[in-house]
Amino acid sequence: MTMRSGGARRLISLGIALAFLAARATAAEPKVKTFMAGLDFDHFARTIVWDGDTGSSALRANLVSARADLGFGKGLTLSLSAGLSLTGFDGLAFGTLPITLEYDASPMKGLVLGAGLEARLLNSGHFEIKAAGRFVSSFGMSKTWPLEGFSVEGEAKGRTNWMEASAGPRLAYILSDAFVPYLEVSVRWLRADFRMEETLDDLDGLETKRINGDLFYSVALGGDARVSGRLTLKAKAGFVPRAGGADSLASVGLLYAF
Amino acid sequence: MKVPAKRSVKAIPALLILLFAGLGTTDAGWIRQTKLGDRFLRRPARVQRFERPALRRGPRYAADRVLVRFKPGVADAYAEGLLRSYGFSSIRLIPRIGVYSVRTSPGASVAETLAMLRRNGDIEQARPDYRARLADTPNDEFFARYQYNLRNLGGILDIGPGFQFPMTAGADIKAALAWDAALGDPEVVIAILDSGVDRTHPDLAAKVVSPGRDIANDDDDATDDHWHGTHVAGIAAADSNNTEGISGVARNCKILPVKVMDADGNGLYSWIIDGIIWATDQGADVINLSLGGDFDDPFLEEACKYAFDRGVVVVAAAGNDYGGPVVYPAAYDDYVLAVAASDFNDQAADFSSSGPQVDVAAPGVYILGPAPQWYVGKGNLPYVFASGTSQAAPHVSGMAALIRSLKPELEPADIMKIIRYTADDVNASADRGRDDHIGYGRINMGRALVPYILK
Repeated sequence: MTMRSGGARRLISLGIALAFLAARATAAEPKVKTFMAGLDFDHFARTIVWDGDTGSSALRANLVSARADLGFGKGLTLSLSAGLSLTGFDGLAFGTLPITLEYDASPMKGLVLGAGLEARLLNSGHFEIKAAGRFVSSFGMSKTWPLEGFSVEGEAKGRTNWMEASAGPRLAYILSDAFVPYLEVSVRWLRADFRMEETLDDLDGLETKRINGDLFYSVALGGDARVSGRLTLKAKAGFVPRAGGADSLASVGLLYAF
Repeated sequence: MKVPAKRSVKAIPALLILLFAGLGTTDAGWIRQTKLGDRFLRRPARVQRFERPALRRGPRYAADRVLVRFKPGVADAYAEGLLRSYGFSSIRLIPRIGVYSVRTSPGASVAETLAMLRRNGDIEQARPDYRARLADTPNDEFFARYQYNLRNLGGILDIGPGFQFPMTAGADIKAALAWDAALGDPEVVIAILDSGVDRTHPDLAAKVVSPGRDIANDDDDATDDHWHGTHVAGIAAADSNNTEGISGVARNCKILPVKVMDADGNGLYSWIIDGIIWATDQGADVINLSLGGDFDDPFLEEACKYAFDRGVVVVAAAGNDYGGPVVYPAAYDDYVLAVAASDFNDQAADFSSSGPQVDVAAPGVYILGPAPQWYVGKGNLPYVFASGTSQAAPHVSGMAALIRSLKPELEPADIMKIIRYTADDVNASADRGRDDHIGYGRINMGRALVPYILK
């Protein structure tokens, strides 16, 4: 299920609103009130149709990153992360290369950088509504495969990059100081490219697969659980509806408060 | 354009008659079908027709299923309970061999599921549920028995008393494998520059796009008054899956007949030059030249360049003079693919010319192809066996047409390289790498057309 122009405008508007809230909060009280750091694991799967393709293929990403959360008070939190990504591309075929290549290899490695922002919008009794946004970008490392069985030497070299932005409201129920479950609905924007070069002696080809800013919706359930005085476990799992099924997303993080 | 005097003198030998029957077919090589008695009498089709809606291969295994087998000693009840604990929505035991067919959890990939299952110490094997397909070989009457050139399962090639030859399984061009990826685009046209084509032949009638051009007699009816052109056209692109006769290499591609040889199998360079330019201007994608002459001629080369520069893949027979040089136009290395002949054991044919211009080899010994009814005589099926690099070349033309069908954006030079670099070096034990006898090797359509899996 994808949407382009209207959804993009809404996502941008939401991003601007989040930035405005953050700016207002930091302007009013610039000091960092809380600081947490830890490790995050993220997974998401997305069934996508690359531009120009007729069939779909899967993009599955697993990220492990170090994360730091900076709390500015009044429910405003900025998180920054950096780590490694492993991205798989089941069923992806490069059909315009001289020899068609089909990807059935282990996931591609990459470096990942991310930033997230949470801002409290409403607080009523045990309920709290936040706006949450996140941007993650994976910068892929190139990988080379020898092409065997041909009468000349050959190799294929691939490299992939992707970025995902998500934003949406989060409805939290403050069950206790130790556990806060929430429901989150997000608009997700994905841009990815996969560049594959093929060389067989003096025969070569280049094909770049792109998906340029497709939008998806996701629904997720999550919770922040304080494991001890300083340790907090953050977990979330959800799905991204699409025609004929749904893709998954999940994350888990363990943060230590300083 | 003014032609230098020296070139004009050089062109004179080119007017010599081409003994193209001698090139196209070795004396001992072809057998008229009439000698085969009732072997070729029409028989009912034994194979059901299967329709194929898609050209390209789909995913190799089911996206939502895996197969699992537990180690010996693990009780069924425990195994099923364990599988249910993973959240699989459907579990079915295939009896006797103790394999479970499992539908994976929503959102989980097969790779992830397999990785998870393989970590369990009670599980012996966890594998994808691979897709199978119908044994989709064409149902043409003679495909299975005689067309070793397209799919060679070994055994004996039995074409009549005194003509029985043991074959080596796999000594073929892997056509059946390649057809899984491409059957050919009907818009892709192979021009057969030869003695014409019998447009009434049941295996060709639906494949010929127009009456063509008869340059030998200067008219617009390229009907075959020899037999050679019909045979060559059939190898390249005979009607397939029509329950009769043979299957062509480029099963769905079309044929444009251009008659550049007369009824005796002779022709002039000027006719060939005319034919190449005419076919190019008509929009041919591939030009097959199962003919050649001994003399280098700049006009003939220029015609080949004309076609090449306009996106046409030009394929020509290397010649049937063992030990002799590659003939022209096959010897125009920059613009033409020169094709040598191999046999049912992947040996170089004992008549095939050799030289540095040889690019690849293709089967050219006892190749079954269509022939005009008048040629074989009333009451006989219109098919004959023939041998020669003439028969080898149209295999390569058919392959070029399939590549063009699948990847229309490729230039002729790229298609020529694909054909060369995907060949099987079948004489590697004696002569590793490219050599002057079979070039890069016997063509392998499967390697060229079926996706290469990056592991």
